[in-house]
Amino acid sequence: MVDDAVDELLGGDFALTQLVIDGKLIPLTSPSSSISPPLHWELSAREPPHNTYPLPLAAFLAQLLAFFNAHIACRHENTLAVFGAFPGKSVLLYSSSEPAVSPSADTESAMNDANAYPPFQMVDSAVVRRIMAELDALEVREDEEEAPSALVGALAKALCYVNRITLPPSANSKTQANGFHPGVLPDPRILILSVSPDLATSYIPIMNSIFSAQKLKATIDVCQIYGPNTVFLQQAAHLTGGSYIFLERRDALLQYLIMSFLPPPSIRRTLSVPTQEQVDFRAACFCHKNIVDIGFVCSVCLSIFCQPLAVCTTCRTKFPIKTLQRLNAARPLLATATGKSQTNGVGRVHSATSVSASNNGVGAQSQTTMTMTNGPSQGGR
Amino acid sequence: MPSLHLNAPVEPTSSPHSLLPFLQSQSQQTLNKLYSRPSSCLSIFRLLAPLQQQIIMNLLWLESTISSSTMAAWVVREEKKTYDAALSPLFRLHILATSPIKLALNPTFKTSMRQALTGGGTTGSFGVPAPKDDKYPAMGIDELDGYALERWETILHYMVSSGSGQNSMRPSKAVLYLLQQSGLMANSQGALQITSAGFQFLLHSPHAQLWDLLLQYLRLAEERNMDLVEVLSFLFMLSTMELGREYSTEGMNTTPQVAATHKAMLNDLRDYGLLWQRKSSSRRFYPTRLATTLTSSSPPLPTSTGPSSGPKEGFIVLETNYRIYAYTDNPLQTAVLNLFVSLKTDHQLSNCSCAPTNEKKMYVLSLRTPRVLVMPHSSQNPLLPVTVQDQIRLWELEKNRLKSQEGYLYTAFTSPADYELVLNYAKQLKLVLWENAAKRCFFGSLDGHANIKNFIERRTGGNT
Repeated sequence: MVDDAVDELLGGDFALTQLVIDGKLIPLTSPSSSISPPLHWELSAREPPHNTYPLPLAAFLAQLLAFFNAHIACRHENTLAVFGAFPGKSVLLYSSSEPAVSPSADTESAMNDANAYPPFQMVDSAVVRRIMAELDALEVREDEEEAPSALVGALAKALCYVNRITLPPSANSKTQANGFHPGVLPDPRILILSVSPDLATSYIPIMNSIFSAQKLKATIDVCQIYGPNTVFLQQAAHLTGGSYIFLERRDALLQYLIMSFLPPPSIRRTLSVPTQEQVDFRAACFCHKNIVDIGFVCSVCLSIFCQPLAVCTTCRTKFPIKTLQRLNAARPLLATATGKSQTNGVGRVHSATSVSASNNGVGAQSQTTMTMTNGPSQGGR
Repeated sequence: MPSLHLNAPVEPTSSPHSLLPFLQSQSQQTLNKLYSRPSSCLSIFRLLAPLQQQIIMNLLWLESTISSSTMAAWVVREEKKTYDAALSPLFRLHILATSPIKLALNPTFKTSMRQALTGGGTTGSFGVPAPKDDKYPAMGIDELDGYALERWETILHYMVSSGSGQNSMRPSKAVLYLLQQSGLMANSQGALQITSAGFQFLLHSPHAQLWDLLLQYLRLAEERNMDLVEVLSFLFMLSTMELGREYSTEGMNTTPQVAATHKAMLNDLRDYGLLWQRKSSSRRFYPTRLATTLTSSSPPLPTSTGPSSGPKEGFIVLETNYRIYAYTDNPLQTAVLNLFVSLKTDHQLSNCSCAPTNEKKMYVLSLRTPRVLVMPHSSQNPLLPVTVQDQIRLWELEKNRLKSQEGYLYTAFTSPADYELVLNYAKQLKLVLWENAAKRCFFGSLDGHANIKNFIERRTGGNT
């Protein structure tokens, strides 16, 4: 039923062309900078037949900024922090609790526009300016692979940010004087917009982030914009009660964002949002960082391994030789079972590649994490 | 500022904003004119409930209409009622085009709302920032806050002190007229006195107070032949402006009539403390916090002023012996407290008032108990001592022990049969309040007297 509704909704035309053409929103057309976006954005922007719905970075940003503005539009107190995960580096692009430190000349002039709401302008210009600056700074060398994207860094920073704004301010802090009360900050949310595949080496930090998010009661929403489904992010959304969307109609990004990720949890109880039908729960082994279908778990510290070990490498627990023999005896069976499932092409399964192979598989990535909260901002401009 | 009522938390509004019913009563033409300005759309959008906002957002970027059933498919079944209840005000506000099977936004609203989100256009509806003024230094946010607070407290203080015979600064004539028109104050014996509606008003959050007055202002605007659309969009423009930035009155005037409306509004709103001008002829103005938080739930007044640096909360102590200690140096707060208890000035310390209160006075407090209890923001710490709470309840019960009703006593029936007959007739109509068969009399309610009288006359007429 809901799927039909999605189809019907997407059958409509979207007004996104207008967004992109309206150059006001995104001054991406500075001729001086020859910015080459990271690899996955280049792939995403390729015309058909490579992509049915190409989505270049500029178009993506236009829709994203409209989404940011929609979030801020809902309540005066809504706050927003945007983190960028660039190749090998994660950066805070914008945060409403600390608006632009030094407004540059062009933002100053843009602020004197009678046709735009000042807070929107602030977000838009800050985010675009910082992304352009970061991309400018990226040294792209032809002979070298780009560093993998720093999704974990961005996610961890987002969680720290949520933690900071959720914590009650100290007794003599300024926020207290403003009449702001801790504990009324509802529903901190994190939305991850991802264009790159899983990075098997980051399994443990991502899982730790998920646990932190659960503890903070922060919902993680995920939108996989380009590339295959990611196992870890699916789990992140599932475990924190968020929504995971694999974007098929990339031309309708904004509609997806607004319908699935704009409503706070309280509204999602009335207007439902798409959720995953099935979640890929596989984990990566601690020893080779492979995503495994069947792994071996240390009974003491719960470390995961792709093969039976005599001694757990994490907690040094020694396992009885008999158990080891029994498990090893069972392994050939397992191996064929895995092989079968791969040849059958059962959904989204990465082959259990070796470390080097997985490194090759992971190219340049760029992901954006964003933290959203509803409710009174502490900053209280 | 630690405050009895100014710090009252604004609950996430479950009831619709007080402006919305007013808007709903306007004609579609008026609303459409209003929707042609992006800042008005954005402000109205902010006043709506979250669910309504989401419905609008879902429809905002669609070019074609969608059928109502498609949207309804997203609604969780148990919440269907909530969803339907959210839709109907949108129809009445003409934000959704009325059609039973299709859902679509009002085209004017859609265009303006999109423009609000993406920028662009030439409406200039978010206010024209003034170029830097070299002659005068810019106003700081603190100065603006101080000004807004001073203006607003002048109004409130005037209302409070009107009953007590104290002299306080008079607000301008226009403000007094508004207070009188809105029924918050009434003319008695040649002087303005606060009414009971005015007392209720004082206990509202400053946000609600502000909107109460503005709504009254809007109603008056029609009488004063001001263009309602212009008045509303000027208010909405103020609400989207940035605090601490100077705006120019030029560039937003199109016709002489509109310019006159703006001029009048600038004067009025300056009196309320919503904006600040260097002098009344100035072509520039600063919006204050009262204006920029109109559509938000953040506190519309600065919360720390005055030289006191004492504890910001818990400034009223109520002892079990009915003694109240108020820790404040704010004359307005002292005046508000004075409405409930008699403060003894000789007990007044440097910034601490102390008032013995007797049970009678306590009852005044209990009249507004629900309000009083929610005023300081927390449900965690019990506000009133148990003994005082009990005393308040006892007083209330005692007050409610007697209930008076007007009516007629029917006596001197000639026979028990006559008595039974009339009594049964009155009972059928549920008019009997009290009866006594031994004394052969009963008491009927006032509005039933005509009926009973007729019945008796008909009976006696028939007998003779």
